Parts: sequence; structure tokens; C-alpha cells
Amino acid sequence: MTRVAVVGIGHSKFGRRTDVNIAELAFESIKQAVDDAGVDKKDIKNVVVGSLGGWYEEALPAVVVNEYAGLESVGTMRVEAACASGSAAVKAAYNSILSGEGDVAMAVGVEKMTEVDNLTSIELIGRAGSYMWEFENYGMTFPAYYALHAVSHMNKFGTTEEDMSRVAVKAHHYGAMNPLAQFQKEITLEKALASQVVSWPLKLYDACPLTDGSASVILASEEVAKKLTDTPVWIRGVGYSSDSANLSRRGDYVGLRASVEAAKRAYAMSGATPGMVDVATCHDCFTIAELMAYEDLGFCKKGEGAKMIREGQTEVGGRIPVNLDGGLKAKGHPIGATGVSMTVEITKQLRNEAGRHQAPIRNGIGLVHNVGGTGHYAFVTILSRD
Amino acid sequence: MQEDPILHSRRSLTLKFDIPISRTHEFWDALRQGRFVTTKCAKCGQVSFPPQSDCPKCMNGEFAWVDLGREATLVTSTYVEIIPASFAENGHYIVAICELTNGLKVLAWLEGIDYEKAKPGMRVKVEGRMSKEGNPYYVFVPA
Repeated sequence: MTRVAVVGIGHSKFGRRTDVNIAELAFESIKQAVDDAGVDKKDIKNVVVGSLGGWYEEALPAVVVNEYAGLESVGTMRVEAACASGSAAVKAAYNSILSGEGDVAMAVGVEKMTEVDNLTSIELIGRAGSYMWEFENYGMTFPAYYALHAVSHMNKFGTTEEDMSRVAVKAHHYGAMNPLAQFQKEITLEKALASQVVSWPLKLYDACPLTDGSASVILASEEVAKKLTDTPVWIRGVGYSSDSANLSRRGDYVGLRASVEAAKRAYAMSGATPGMVDVATCHDCFTIAELMAYEDLGFCKKGEGAKMIREGQTEVGGRIPVNLDGGLKAKGHPIGATGVSMTVEITKQLRNEAGRHQAPIRNGIGLVHNVGGTGHYAFVTILSRD
Repeated sequence: MQEDPILHSRRSLTLKFDIPISRTHEFWDALRQGRFVTTKCAKCGQVSFPPQSDCPKCMNGEFAWVDLGREATLVTSTYVEIIPASFAENGHYIVAICELTNGLKVLAWLEGIDYEKAKPGMRVKVEGRMSKEGNPYYVFVPA
């Protein structure tokens, strides 16, 4: 079986992008990825577009995006795995190469969340669960789903509001070093703790923003990858899992079972262990989500996520630096783009091209952790220099 | 900073769904009469909440309605301050997940208590409510 590598990456500026429509926004990262890979776009046999949609005007983003980029005759589809749609797109592109369909495929993640008003966006994300039993009568919001986890984690393990705010401070610290991040300013612990409550105990600075953005990766088979580049980054393991739509059908609220399962599968497929990971992106749509991810991915024991952030174990110089691109919290979270953006970031890290937020690379192994919804979907992708 | 030129679309889109409930309408009918019930598979005995007419365990399609009782224990909760557009008239609310005596969990609003006093482990009970449009729903209140 061939191996598959990331051979080209592209990433738009994230933020409130009133200067571009959905196709123009996607094109920014597509063009960069094509140039970075040095491929002729005629050689791309499959374009998978990850996007949740509903908050921008186009109903068929895949064909609109492809037409704009002159890729209209390429086979395409839009995939949805909520906030993990980007990782689902990478996986579908990866599978198309493994299946022998073609030697080069592209995954594009794109979302435009600011063309409708904020409360409508909040409404659309709040429906990302089991509509009839969580939204129709109870108006759940995305922060509320994670707040239910935060309260449980605090109650069971003594995690504090301050621990969660530390995750935000770290995110903004590194986001300030990433010119593509939505937020470019550092924040203090006091400022995070004093911010407006969104859904108790989660505050404004515990929550990722609404973001417009795109990211693209070009994948190639081993034979083609070695011709195209001296620095291929290999996809060594892809694990994915899912869980109930209704939160009431979950066993507990101190972690995400789908993340645990996805990680297990990715570690098994790649042969890597948590201790071998040089750098990771973890799905920090809310600060509590990052703390739970440390535990679910095996970076520490269950209940010790807060200890990791207190000790600085996930900063540069710590055991496993996490979200050095600013994470969803500071870089922004354009839902369908996020998983591809994470893959771009880890590829940059493993190529030693991350600039001011570069992690030291020892084993040449990086990890992408991307959650859809509130643990409804989870993808873990392990990338490697060898 | 100068604002980018924007085309404000003239076409608005309102979505209102007519959701079929014929397979499990007895749940809502019972709720109107003050009973809180759910489905039990006639073949393997699996009790499901939310109710569903097909068993998720053995995929059998025959079921009976069973009473869930009203007593429950709070597992986790949150006070929702920023609320969705379609709940704008509502004001803030507490959402809780509580565990019934048979071990099934239910998500609903928790009413009749200040949020600071809502703690995991506290005893609550299920009560029926009616929306102003005439749709029944259920909430938790302190026991």
C-alpha cells in the first residue's frame, strides 16, 4: 500500500473577512497550496471541501469554490463532520489516494460565519446536537454544551475558572506570534477572568470567536510526493470516532469518548505514543475542551489537564507544546476550515517553517486533534517527517 | 478604518420546520396529562430516552410505553446568558442534565431556583409545562 504525504499547504488570514466572498476566500489557500506543492492543477484528481455552511449564501460550496479556481471538472464533494469537517475532508482526500483513484488530491476547508448576525450564528451552532430534544424547547448554545462539561470537570477534579482562563492566556500569547490569527494581542489572566459570562462558568475569553477563513492541503502518493518535495510530511495514522447526538445519552461529562477512541485508533495505526509527540493542535473551541483533550489524548491522566496547563507543560519548553498557532481560541475557528488549518500548522511545524511559534522537533511527530460538535465527531491525525 | 463594499442581499430566508411526531406522539400526549413516559423495546427490554419507536439495541420495531417517574438527581448544569436569536423573548435560563432513578439521563431547563444554588447531586423532579403556542415540554424543579 502506498503512503500518503502532505506536499502543499495554504492558509488564508483568519478573522472577519468582509473583503472576500466564499470562493475568493477559499481561493486564497488553494492558490498557496498549489504553488507550495509545485503541482499542475490538472494533476489534482479529487477536491474534497469541508464546510458546514448555512451562514453564507451559497448552498453548494464545493462546486462554487472549484469553479472559481478553474477546477470545475475535477470530482468533488462537500463533507460535513461539524467542526471536524476539515479533518473529514483530509481523510476523504487521503482515502482517495490510498484507493488508487489518483496520485494527487486536495482538501479545502472553508467557512464564512460573519455574513449573518451573531445571534443567528449562535442559533445555528446551538442546533448542532439533537434538535428536537435539546434546542426546540431548551435553546442550547454551543458554549452551554461545553459549560455542562466544565461544571462536571470542576466538580469531579477541582479544575477552576482560573485553570480554564490560563488556556486562553496561552492561546493569545501564541496567537500574537501568528500573523494569520484573528486575535493578535496578548491578554492577562485577570482580563480573561473578568470577561462577560456566556454560559456559566464559561466566559467570553473561554470561547473561540466566529471566524471567516480557509485552509487547503495537497496530498500525494509516495511516488509522486518524493518527486515533488524534499520535505514531505507523511500521514501516519488517522483515527476517527463519534458519539450520541443527545448529550443525555453520554456516560459522563468530564471528557469526550469520541476523542479517546479516535486517539487510540490513530496511535495504533501510526505506532506512535503520546510521549513521542513533539507538537500538537488540540480542539480548543472552549478552554475546557483543551484541558479535556490533554486527558483524552493521553498527554496526562484523566483529571490532570489543569495540572498540565498550570505547570506550563503545553507551552514551548514543556512536555508537549499545544496550539502554538493560537488555537481555535486566538487563531479563530472557521468551522469547516479548522481541521485543515490544524494540518497546515502541524506540517509547518514538522518542516520547521513555523517561524516565531516554532516548537523544537525531536522525534519528527505531530498530532492533529479535531472535534466536531460536542464530541459528536472526533478525528485524530498523526503526521511524521519520516 | 474604511468599510469594505458589501451587497446586502434582498432575499431573506425563514425556515420553520413541521416535524413529524406520529411514531412517538404518545410521549407528548402523556406529557399533556402530566405523565412522563418513554419507550421500552418489546423484544430486548431496552428502555430509551428520548423515546424512539425502533430499538437502537436490537433494531426491533415493537415497543411499549413505560412510566419514567419524576425523581431525578442533578448531574451537571449551566446558566445560559447569551441566548439564541429565536429565544430572544425568553430571558436567561438554566439547563441541566439529570439522572432518573432508572439511570437514564434527561436534559431540560431547571426552574424555580437561583443558579448559585444548583449543585451536582441535588434532588429534583420532572414537571410538565405548556408553551404559549400550546406545545407541551418538561422541566426540572427542586424536589
